[in-house]
Amino acid sequence: MEQRGLYQRYLNRFGWLCVAPSVFLFSLFMAYPILSSLYYVTRRWKGMANSFIGLGNFARMARDKVFQAALGHNFLFMAVQIPLMVFLALALAALLNQRIKRFRGPLRLALFLPSVTSLVVVSVLFRVLLQANGFLNNVLIGAGAIREPIGWLNDAAWAKVTIILAMTWRWTGYNMVFFLVGMQSIDPEIYEAAEVDGAPRIRQFFRITIPLLVPVILFSAVTSTSGTMQLLDEPNILTWQGGPANATMTAALYIYRQAFFVNADFGYATALSYVVVLISGLFAYIQMRLLGDNARSAR
Amino acid sequence: MSVVRSWTPGRLASVAVLAAAAAISVFPFVWMVIGTTLNPNDVLRGILAPGRELASNWEKATGMYDLPTFLANSLKIALLTVALGLAVNGLAAFGFEKYPSKARDRVFGVLLLTLIIPQIAIVIPMFRMFAFFKLLNTHAAIVLPSIMSVFIIFFMRQNFKMFPTEIMEAARVDGASELSILLRIVLPSMQATFASAAIYLFLGQWNSYLWPLITILGDEMKTLPIAMASMMSAYTIEYGALMIIVCVSVLPVLLLFLTMQKQFVAGLLGSVK
Amino acid sequence: MRKVPKLLLALALALALAPGLAAAPQKLTVWCWDPNFNVYAMKEAAKLYNKAHPEVAVEVVDMAQDIEAKVISGLQAGGAGLPDIALFQDFRIEQFLSDYPKAFVDLKAQGVDYAKFASYKVGPMSVGKSVYGIPFDTGSTGLWLRTDYIKAAGLDPDAYYGKSLKWSEVIKLGETVKAKTGKPLLSYQSDNFDMLRIVVQSTGGQFFNPDGSLNLRSEAFKKSLALFKELNDKGLLYQVVGWSDWINAINSDQAAGFLNAIWMVGSVKSRPENKGKYMVIPTPLIEGVKGAANASNNGGSSWYVFSSSKNQKLAVDFLKSVWATTNEGTKAFYNEILKGAGAMGTYLPCQGGPNFTANDDFFYKSQPLYKDFAAWMAKVPVLTYTPNYQPMRDAVAHATLNYFQGKIKSIDEAIAAAEAEYKQVMGQ
Repeated sequence: MEQRGLYQRYLNRFGWLCVAPSVFLFSLFMAYPILSSLYYVTRRWKGMANSFIGLGNFARMARDKVFQAALGHNFLFMAVQIPLMVFLALALAALLNQRIKRFRGPLRLALFLPSVTSLVVVSVLFRVLLQANGFLNNVLIGAGAIREPIGWLNDAAWAKVTIILAMTWRWTGYNMVFFLVGMQSIDPEIYEAAEVDGAPRIRQFFRITIPLLVPVILFSAVTSTSGTMQLLDEPNILTWQGGPANATMTAALYIYRQAFFVNADFGYATALSYVVVLISGLFAYIQMRLLGDNARSAR
Repeated sequence: MSVVRSWTPGRLASVAVLAAAAAISVFPFVWMVIGTTLNPNDVLRGILAPGRELASNWEKATGMYDLPTFLANSLKIALLTVALGLAVNGLAAFGFEKYPSKARDRVFGVLLLTLIIPQIAIVIPMFRMFAFFKLLNTHAAIVLPSIMSVFIIFFMRQNFKMFPTEIMEAARVDGASELSILLRIVLPSMQATFASAAIYLFLGQWNSYLWPLITILGDEMKTLPIAMASMMSAYTIEYGALMIIVCVSVLPVLLLFLTMQKQFVAGLLGSVK
Repeated sequence: MRKVPKLLLALALALALAPGLAAAPQKLTVWCWDPNFNVYAMKEAAKLYNKAHPEVAVEVVDMAQDIEAKVISGLQAGGAGLPDIALFQDFRIEQFLSDYPKAFVDLKAQGVDYAKFASYKVGPMSVGKSVYGIPFDTGSTGLWLRTDYIKAAGLDPDAYYGKSLKWSEVIKLGETVKAKTGKPLLSYQSDNFDMLRIVVQSTGGQFFNPDGSLNLRSEAFKKSLALFKELNDKGLLYQVVGWSDWINAINSDQAAGFLNAIWMVGSVKSRPENKGKYMVIPTPLIEGVKGAANASNNGGSSWYVFSSSKNQKLAVDFLKSVWATTNEGTKAFYNEILKGAGAMGTYLPCQGGPNFTANDDFFYKSQPLYKDFAAWMAKVPVLTYTPNYQPMRDAVAHATLNYFQGKIKSIDEAIAAAEAEYKQVMGQ
């Protein structure tokens, strides 16, 4: 009995030993930053000096229309890009899942290929392709679709379209693979039964495939939402520092610029980042509820 | 039901749509490879015929810009992150899963909670910390914070669940130490899991932008993404040389993908944007 | 068997923790930007210094447009990763001197004679009795025109050569060129403030009041915005975003000219096909504003030594003996970089080398453009920058672009929008 207790203690100690390096790194690079941000958020920085301003940073935020607009852009990209991408990815997955065995492999490979590029590469490629005198404008002019070049990078409205285009190119194939995996795990007997009932394919898709895929769709929406909330690489490189005229400024990019680019205003930037955390947390909560409900109803 | 030969209009249309989408997906790759052979103006105009500037573009990429250094930096940082990340996170996942305890589960819960914290929210204190330790503008500053990944611990813990505890018990009876159980018995059967985790860690570090952007100041420390980004914000852009650097940065990932598709997709699907 | 991974781990850790290579004792690092201009000039300076000090290696790093961000990070980290010497825009340095008072070496205390530099350059780099920089170049501006497109439009370039024009005449010229060749008159960076600054300054306008508060409601500013709107609405601007795309537009023949400073010589000369095509005429005049002149200034920057530099003495000696000393070597140096890149130094004793008056056969009719730029410079009204110039610059550029694209309907609205953004970003 005594020995068994000793052995349990030995195992328990070994367990702690295993998790110790991770817990150490976690406290250093996650717990400490989170705790110390409580100090930063009450300070106002100017150069090397900083002073206490209490909730002043939040008062400043309430007046900061640039930041509010930046948050608005995050929401806009979520509202437009995610549905567009999910729709395309679903459609492509459904088409791939049909009886086209011979082409399925290469087509899937091709569609997935954009996922191997980094966001920096995507931004670089699209920034060059979308120059005023660049490839896409030349093709469109050549095809007679437009007469004047489109200001993909230069026009405040088109620049938003540019970001959406680049994100959609990068992520559609990636999400498509999720959906394809989901579709292939659906029991073929369900379709066979529907076939016997004479239900047309399109109806099978909406009545069987989509409902069974809801958890997967939700999951991809979840990851996309949290990614879009952190959007920074594309507006910084592709549309050049959130330009033109802040038209593609996002919350994360604005925080980066406040803390590391224009000034070193660590206090204000921390306060801004609290808002992003709050929104991310809210989204995570809603989505967990949705996913949870769905998992329950699926059972 | 004939599988291949019935080309109904519907199927023809779906193949056409897929082919168009595939073409759009692949085109930028073709275009960037062609771009490596063109002069800057032709890169911009999107000329689709190969030119004769490959040699001079290569010369610029390795002379005006230090492509070998960027590549070496990226490789070193990514491989170190993978090696250390596998060790640290694998160990933690093993510990959390195979040595159950209420206290550790509570710790795990705290770790999971921080998954929602976006990176932008912690970079300021992290920057101050690395500045304090005089580690700014070093590769350690990039590697150290990305070793531990809550997501990887979570992912690997899920997979450790499938390893039967009875085998471990049997080994204990035979007098094997806990460490040798992990190294000799558990690890060999978890290769696929480790491969996926390795790919995930590699991609995350190979592509990372914000944190290196903040911590790297000098040219000699730059990784490929940072080098590309700063070329894009240079006063004059050498587009041909840029295309070479873009290709070099995409190539390892592409090779990884083509050779290890299954683990790659498993590793990638686990990742979040 | 078990030792291998440990060894690998140890090796990996050692690699990760190894700091960057320590600088050799006799090495100076300089951060600046633009290979065709500042980098070139500093490399020439290093060559001269190496004649007397061959043991000193000067590494000139070509930084991107985030150089100030990198400097801020380095300063916040107590100098980690910073070079010995860096170049700062004259309009940006006041922010750094006020935010980081201990970051730079007082060069006046090191014996630099500032009476020998153009006085307008010394103002922004002075705080009390201290002066921190070595003034570099002047940004005297002109209207750069492509004579080949003017000819293609059926006009005679000689009718414009050397003429001081009014903007109304320039617009007429632009409309003809656009109608006949399809080329807009000016390459224009639509997210950038530079061209607006040039026009406002040529009218004698200021962006700040003497007390440092924002001053966008001047007649000069309103007239300039109206002019820009007209240029925009008549399709005379070829618009791009970002500096590099602007350079690219110029060097890929997208427009018939641009409005900018003498330091564009380097970028124009970097493309051999430009030879013989450009002429530069005086900055056009806005009518109806008192104090307007056919001259303006844009850019201009200066060299600074960081207090964190371990080679402070060497860095100061290098700057002083090349950029602030009068002898045959420095005279030849200033003369050389003028023609090489259009770098017109502001060290008065070294102005007046042969290139200051020489013809340059790279330009239309071998225009003696350095003489012209110098003559225009004498007429330029001095601009006050203040530490808040950069946020003002961004806010005005944003409002202007939104005014062009119709999101803002009137000049008064544009001014109000710029003022509001300035205050928000400043946290006022």
